[in-house]
Amino acid sequence: MTAAPARSDLLQGTLDVLILKTLGLGPMHGWGISQRIQQLSREVLQVNQGSLYPALYRLEAKGWIRSEWGNSENNRRARFYELTKPGRRQLAEETESWERFAAAVARVLEAS
Amino acid sequence: MRLRLGPAWRSLFHRGSVEREMDEEMLFHLDMEIRKLRARGLDANTARTEALKSFGGVDKYKEEGRDARGLTLFETISQDVRYALRGLRRNPGYAAAALVTLALGIGANVAVFSVVHGVFLQQLPYGGGERLVRLRQDAPGIGAQDTPFSPKEVADYATQTRTLSGVAEYHSMWFILLREPEPERVQTGVVSANFFDLVGVKPLLGRTFLPGDDAPGAEPLLVLSYDYWQRSHGADPKIIGRTFRMNDKIHTVIGVLPPMPAYPNENDVYMPTSACPFRAGAAASNDRTIRMVSIFGKLKPGTALAALQADLSTVLGRLTRQYPGAYPGHEARATVTGVPLRRELTERARPTFLVLLGTVGLVLLLACANVANLTLARQLRRRREIALRVALGAGRHRLARQMLTESTVLSLAGGLLGILLAWGALGLLVSFAARFTPRASEIRIDTPVFLFALGVSIATGLAFGLIPSFSSGQNLVAALQDGGDRSTGGGARHRLRSALIVVQVAVSFMLLIGAGLMLRSLWKLSRVDPGFHTERVLTTRLDLNFSKYRGADKTRPFQTLLLERLTDRPSVVSAAIAGTFPLNDGGPQNGQFEIEGRPAPQQDLRPQADFQQVSPAYFATIRVPILRGRGFSDADRADTPQVAVINQTMATHLWGKENPIGRRISVDGAKTWIEIVGVVGDVRQYGLDLRPPDQVYVAISQYPPLSATVLVRSAADPMALSRIVRDAVHGIDPEQAVDRFRTLEQVRANALASPRLTSILLGLFAALALAITSAGIAGVVAFSVGERTQEFGIRLALGADPRQVIRMVLGQAMALVALGLALGFVGAHLLASAMSRLLFEVNATDPPTFLAMSFALAAVAAAASFLPARRITAVDPMTALRAT
Repeated sequence: MTAAPARSDLLQGTLDVLILKTLGLGPMHGWGISQRIQQLSREVLQVNQGSLYPALYRLEAKGWIRSEWGNSENNRRARFYELTKPGRRQLAEETESWERFAAAVARVLEAS
Repeated sequence: MRLRLGPAWRSLFHRGSVEREMDEEMLFHLDMEIRKLRARGLDANTARTEALKSFGGVDKYKEEGRDARGLTLFETISQDVRYALRGLRRNPGYAAAALVTLALGIGANVAVFSVVHGVFLQQLPYGGGERLVRLRQDAPGIGAQDTPFSPKEVADYATQTRTLSGVAEYHSMWFILLREPEPERVQTGVVSANFFDLVGVKPLLGRTFLPGDDAPGAEPLLVLSYDYWQRSHGADPKIIGRTFRMNDKIHTVIGVLPPMPAYPNENDVYMPTSACPFRAGAAASNDRTIRMVSIFGKLKPGTALAALQADLSTVLGRLTRQYPGAYPGHEARATVTGVPLRRELTERARPTFLVLLGTVGLVLLLACANVANLTLARQLRRRREIALRVALGAGRHRLARQMLTESTVLSLAGGLLGILLAWGALGLLVSFAARFTPRASEIRIDTPVFLFALGVSIATGLAFGLIPSFSSGQNLVAALQDGGDRSTGGGARHRLRSALIVVQVAVSFMLLIGAGLMLRSLWKLSRVDPGFHTERVLTTRLDLNFSKYRGADKTRPFQTLLLERLTDRPSVVSAAIAGTFPLNDGGPQNGQFEIEGRPAPQQDLRPQADFQQVSPAYFATIRVPILRGRGFSDADRADTPQVAVINQTMATHLWGKENPIGRRISVDGAKTWIEIVGVVGDVRQYGLDLRPPDQVYVAISQYPPLSATVLVRSAADPMALSRIVRDAVHGIDPEQAVDRFRTLEQVRANALASPRLTSILLGLFAALALAITSAGIAGVVAFSVGERTQEFGIRLALGADPRQVIRMVLGQAMALVALGLALGFVGAHLLASAMSRLLFEVNATDPPTFLAMSFALAAVAAAASFLPARRITAVDPMTALRAT
């Protein structure tokens, strides 16, 4: 295997934000979401497929995203997910609280 | 949990499509991953492997995906059920054994519960319900039990009690109803007009009696019972208004009753008191000492039985002061008590069915233990599979739930089969229960019984499903590590299996003792010498029509002529007429008398005996030996001195070693004397289990009975004589009914039927228990022999004698059996004392029964463990060792 950049395991809550954020850019199927997260994080964040789908179903059950069957770029049937209105609100909230959290962690780490 | 209608709804009703969508989504993801890897230059196979590796187990993610979707309980349960069914199909031996055991255990309980529910639990089928009582009068001072009341007393209790909202009168007699093709003898309930309103019975057709229907001189009316209407009138819907001649009067049918318990008697028809020739007579209506009727009352709402009791005592006290002649002396110590109708209807059935209920409860316990044992053995065999599934991430709770699902699926299926079994056995049980209670007709398998079956099935499933899971949570890693074949981590289960065997042995022992005691009691009962010979004697009922044969001058010629004609027939060995015969229905006909030269200090303390009217050939016909003096002869006529024959018990009781022949007694206050001319052997007149009372036989020529029985001894099959008897009766009077042909053998068999049926039932349950237990023991020994093959191989290789090894295995099994026996001993004592009321001349601690059953159980257990233990001799030490 090629040497891979260090990968972080994603906390469940974090994965939810990332999915919401990714879908904020437009509707996408599961595989696309995982690829997009990997790309955007420059291969640092590797989405474990096994957590991706449960997270998607969970978010759908919460009503933050909804799914629809459509055709993929290579013309295969795929399930596309998109943000709902409550999902958008949730994304805003989570982004804000994530930034607060990250800032707090950064402050703690910088202090010495 | 909030119900989310979107995906959850879909997943509930479109499970299949949701599953397919998930599959499709996963496959799409996998496919995209493979494409990506191939784009990087990997070959198809490697790409596929890599993609799969990074993806992990598809199933697991689907599972988690499902868990995230909500409503997982429903899905998991249905998945568990499917899994359970698949598991059971894979293991049909286990499934069949468990199913049969459970069906028998649950079926027995459902069957007995349907009786308990129908007879003891459900509401009485009367509108009057739980407030109905029957008044019971006793006079222990003169040995009078449950004596009837006089009509005058009925009126007194009706007007003077303050706790009863209504009082009705009742008695039952046989009358002849004239109709084509043959006159019919009908049992007739004679009731006051308010009787049906009081008990709360509404007619099926027409009406019941109205106030005034029982006024003196009112037109005679009839209400038919449902059974009689069905049986004798083909459920004729136009029966209302038809007339029948009874007792020389025309009776009009005004109604038909709904089906109801044959209580107080199995009456065919009902008539008002004014229509009964005996009750309506001046003497019966006015004489307080002519007691022939029962009183039924209804408690005022909210009245306690104790209040009724106080009320009744007050009224009785007033009556005894007012009419001292009707309550002779205070030695009579008369009492009147109110007995709730519920107790009246069910009391006799209670001991038998309590014992049966306990028995089937034990059978179910045993079935549970046995299935738990089978399940444990199955789990031990599946140890590796289970460990593997735990290692692969199956939650422990999920596993336990799966096993419980499996046991519940089994027990529900067993319950279903059990209901079918119970349904099949219901007819038998109803006829069995009918021997004890008139409520037997109400027994059916209805909703409460179904609910009971469901409850018992679920409880059973949980019970035998939970017992094995006590030990399932441990040492799974060890089970995986050691390869799963050997007994690591199984110790707790082996101990549990041993404990279950101990329980099974103990329970079986209790059941065996119950059945053993009952069988021994039956054996003793059937060996009782009844004092007469039953073979080749035909009996029949011959009630002479009151209106036609009023007085001895009318009945005597009929009876004499009938006996002459019967005796003339070549196939008749001898023929007799008697008031009744031994073991027939009905109680003692007690009468007081005085002995000449031995005046009683008080009128009430006169001796008492059971009086029987018999014709001369009676003793010869049923072969009662004449011990002293003579029997009756044709020379004893109405106009010759009155004579009596007494039984041995009475002779010893009243005269000791003196000779009673020639002594005289009187039943009419010393106006006429009856000379004792003979002593006959004792006869078990009122039950094989009852010692004979003092008995006085008098001659029918001197005391002719109205209601009589004919006894005919035949040279061959007695039943063949019924035609002859019928023709002889109709030859003298074609309007005379003659019915109820039974051989004395049948009568005696009937007297033994209840204990025999009880014994058969208990015996069946005990045999079942023994079979289940021995199978259980054999199973445990076989399993442990299988597990220890290697150990035995070493022992044999080291030079142990195979017989010694077998002895060791047997010894271990028998130690469990001994422990079970010891526990069962204690339990059996409890059970036996609970059933002492069912036993005849058998002590509840009967040593022979306990000894015999211990040996029987030990022997069966030894055989059951020997069969699998024998396999040890077939163990080849080398193979066993190499198998390590």
